[in-house]
Amino acid sequence: MNGGTDDLMMTQSAGITQHAEQRAAEDSSFERLTMPHLPAVARFARSLTRDAVRADDLVQETYMRALRGWHTFRDDSDPRRWLFAVCHHAFLRGVRREEVYVDAPDDDPELESLATAAAHWRAQESGLVDAVERLDLGPAIDRALGTLSPHYRAAVVLVDVEGHSYEEAAAVLRIPVGTVRSRLFRGRRVLQDLLFEFARDAGFETARAPAVKERSE
Amino acid sequence: MIPSKPEIANSERVDPIDCETAVRRLWDFLDGRLPARSREEVETHLATCELCPPHFEFARSMQRALAASAPLPTDGEETRLRERVRAALCRHKGAI
Repeated sequence: MNGGTDDLMMTQSAGITQHAEQRAAEDSSFERLTMPHLPAVARFARSLTRDAVRADDLVQETYMRALRGWHTFRDDSDPRRWLFAVCHHAFLRGVRREEVYVDAPDDDPELESLATAAAHWRAQESGLVDAVERLDLGPAIDRALGTLSPHYRAAVVLVDVEGHSYEEAAAVLRIPVGTVRSRLFRGRRVLQDLLFEFARDAGFETARAPAVKERSE
Repeated sequence: MIPSKPEIANSERVDPIDCETAVRRLWDFLDGRLPARSREEVETHLATCELCPPHFEFARSMQRALAASAPLPTDGEETRLRERVRAALCRHKGAI
């Protein structure tokens, strides 16, 4: 009887040890594979949130979620892309909680390109294009990105800021490549419109008229 | 950009496209996602059109500004964030 109890305890103990060893190995692989990507995740989080404090919270949330879901990570996956997907998912959850979530319709990308061009030509005629060039484009882009709705912002950030291909962005956002393309084109058009709006608000549009006159004289 | 003579000779074999077609292809062109033939048609159009090149150039400037808009965290910021994340992960591991 005692021998049986001892055997059972030894088996249980071996099981606990094995479980602890397995967890330690998982923790070690988690740290080894995910921690080198922390700077990239931090930059992505900043681009998404446009706020340093919220970005740091999002990075922490990303790593917590990543650890909890580490068993779903496949060895042949790209850890950076996987972390970006976790980060984006966490970001959208936060956005939903704040009730500023906007559903993105499926736009026609080529019509967006045409609309971008039409807006550009109108801006060119009114002198706004030159005005935007006089704006400090860095802060203006930063402000415009912050105004963009989350779905469009994520597509623009992944492709234009992070330099991902459409296919990589689609894997992070878990949407079809065609949807990435349409959100990207729409996001860029809205950004361009916002830049023109900032230039107009800054009073550059009216400042352009005398300059044209001076040149023509 | 003014095409050199051999490029002009080649461009004669490319079907001309109008401004609308060119701008419909704007982002695919800038993102390098057009098939070779379509890309060549846009390049030929841009070499001969007065209206479209400033528009393409503006779009390119916006992309460049976007690419430069998010620097990586500084060493100090990264260290602080790494410590914060590690501490949170340790707390989580201790709780399970």
